[in-house]
Amino acid sequence: MAHLVNPLATPAQLYNLKSSSQLPDDLQEVVFTTTQCLTQAAGLLLELPQSTTAQASVLLARYWLVDSPMMHEFSDVSAAALFIVSKMGPLPQSARDIANVYAYLLSSQSPLLRAEKPTGDNPAEYYLSESDYYAFQNRILALEARILYALSFNTHVSLPHPLAITYLQTLDFLGLGDKKDISARVMQHLNTALLSPQMLYVTHQPHALATAAIYCAARDFGAKMPESAWWEVFDVDREELGFLVVGLMSVDNIMRKRREDMPWMNEGAVTRSKVEAEMKQRGLRVGNGTKRGNDEEDEVMRMMDSR
Amino acid sequence: MPPSRWATSAEDDARLAKEKEEKRRRKAEKARKLEQQQKEAEAAAAVAAQNQPQDDEQSEQRPSKRRRLSPELDDDAPPKLLRFDAGGWSKSRSVENYDKLNDIEEGTYGWVARATDLTTGKVVALKRLKLEPNDRSGLPVTGLREIQILKDCRHRNIVSMEEVVVGDDTHRLDNSIFLVLEFVEHDLKSILEDMPEPFLSSEIKQILLQLTAGTAYLHANWILHRDLKTSNLLLNNRGQLKIADFGMARYVGDPPPAKLTSLVVTLWYRSPELLLGVKTYGAAVDMWSVGCIFGELLTREPLLQGKNEVDQMSKIFELCGVPTDESWPGFRRLPNARSLRLPKNTLTTGSVIRARFPNMTSAGAGLLNELLSLDPERRPTAKAMLQHEYFRQDPKPKPETMFPTFPSKAGQERRRRHEPHAPGRGEAASFGDADFTGILQGRDKEERGAGFSLRMV
Repeated sequence: MAHLVNPLATPAQLYNLKSSSQLPDDLQEVVFTTTQCLTQAAGLLLELPQSTTAQASVLLARYWLVDSPMMHEFSDVSAAALFIVSKMGPLPQSARDIANVYAYLLSSQSPLLRAEKPTGDNPAEYYLSESDYYAFQNRILALEARILYALSFNTHVSLPHPLAITYLQTLDFLGLGDKKDISARVMQHLNTALLSPQMLYVTHQPHALATAAIYCAARDFGAKMPESAWWEVFDVDREELGFLVVGLMSVDNIMRKRREDMPWMNEGAVTRSKVEAEMKQRGLRVGNGTKRGNDEEDEVMRMMDSR
Repeated sequence: MPPSRWATSAEDDARLAKEKEEKRRRKAEKARKLEQQQKEAEAAAAVAAQNQPQDDEQSEQRPSKRRRLSPELDDDAPPKLLRFDAGGWSKSRSVENYDKLNDIEEGTYGWVARATDLTTGKVVALKRLKLEPNDRSGLPVTGLREIQILKDCRHRNIVSMEEVVVGDDTHRLDNSIFLVLEFVEHDLKSILEDMPEPFLSSEIKQILLQLTAGTAYLHANWILHRDLKTSNLLLNNRGQLKIADFGMARYVGDPPPAKLTSLVVTLWYRSPELLLGVKTYGAAVDMWSVGCIFGELLTREPLLQGKNEVDQMSKIFELCGVPTDESWPGFRRLPNARSLRLPKNTLTTGSVIRARFPNMTSAGAGLLNELLSLDPERRPTAKAMLQHEYFRQDPKPKPETMFPTFPSKAGQERRRRHEPHAPGRGEAASFGDADFTGILQGRDKEERGAGFSLRMV
């Protein structure tokens, strides 16, 4: 059974996320989704299987429910999560490869999260000097231990993708032609759900995510579904299904809206300094009261980096 | 004459009396509570009976005439949906929740200590996650895999892990990550080394049965242990065997992953296909180790003590015979087999296991022979082995509770014989042009068949 279920976030953890990071909801969402996009892009460039990248995304989501997202640079946490998952799996990635990929993705040459594709090719922009690499590696290694500590060393992640394939088979939706489109769309929905600011992978079990993705895909293509409450066969009740379907369908709209509100989101990966600048502009203090703890944390991180 | 160290003193007597008094008090308390509970339950039942209408009671006694045979199709009834709970996550606890009692060992496996849980008083083993100094690749992957696998395992023959705890300085966790493991008094290797008499065959059966049950559980859960050996098998004072040390273990699928490292399993317990550099292997590598352990239980000596890979291979061939295309189809295609020069003599191809263990029953020798099949396909699976005739024959496996106890040495200095360590990275040895043609010379002169000797049960 253990291979089919995930530990889930407690209501207290979800509540804490809001209070500890001091970020308004919309910024919180932006940070989560854009960082998950960064993880996905890095997984692609490192040629990792999607299962590895998806597990890294889930670990990152779990970690941010323990430590505030503002505690470390977002891209560092994303890189450390990928580092941990790839290390435990069959395709370990060297810190060097990961460093190079993130240096590129964060540079002005990367098309990631940019409205306009960067013109020209200037490799010097993403050249990683030896000292930068050393500092990056230090941060990743410190975060590796930190993340594992925060998750009490439980790195088990069950993904809904394999379950979805079984469910598709059950519904006779797996095959060639139109059926192939539906299967592909189901996977797309499941991968989109990884980016959802509602953190669906840490609030719902894989079987529910798989069922909701099939529901959405069938609706997208107008496929004929059983008249009865077929989702109950997969142990999902109507209410949970409804919530997840809305969650899956809304990711795109939410991000579109945020991008209109905050044009700086179209200028490359979101960093802590960009978020802090936005907070300042809105007249919000970056952290009040609880933030002091984070400053100490930053201080320690800086000390470790400069080692 | 000074009184013996062991003589009971007045102090001891006083302490004993006090303990007895304490026990009596607790017993009385318990009895009182039980009585109260009973009274409450009775009162509640009486109230319930009063409230219930009379006719209801009658209808209960009389069964209804028609029994409904088909399940009711009621759309309004809420569906029964399965719900799974896998818990949540939170930060690791601090190692300060445990009080160290004594060191158990400091060696290849890193630092292990006996400790008590301060809140529950339970005795546990703390194993420090061993870090290579100046290793720039972070936490050791073997340690992380061990944690991951032990977290997933729940079986009476597998050492259980309670949690992972960390030192107080959570910003620098480098050398302060500890696995909290169930404390088990002995390891099988030191017991075998120190026991004056060998295990009885009923005891060997029980140990082997438990080892097989644990291995079957691992294999059923897609885990290969890849380092089964007597020093990794623990035995508690209640005769329970626990498989430990999962530093080499990993999850596999079916079909097995195409590229696995063949540099696993301590040399003396390493299967011939691993020695020949196979890239795709499965549960059979563990079954070979089980066979080696079986042999070791019988003789109290490791069965195949090779000095290096080549020597190990020749020791295997001496015992199990030289492989042929019939006894092990396709072995010639293995990476290290191409350069093998084997004797062509037919006398060398049979196994001498029977002759080497003359006082075993034919079922026992048969099982050992199957486990030590050169061809991994011919070794029994752990699940199949549990049904083997050997375990059903007299003498029956001795009940765990009847097991002898041994003085626990955890924490004391102990004599250790040299044993090769589990292989490390980058130590792969190739055979080069090893010549095995001479290893079986004179074998035909050896005595064949079982001698006669008395067997104690």
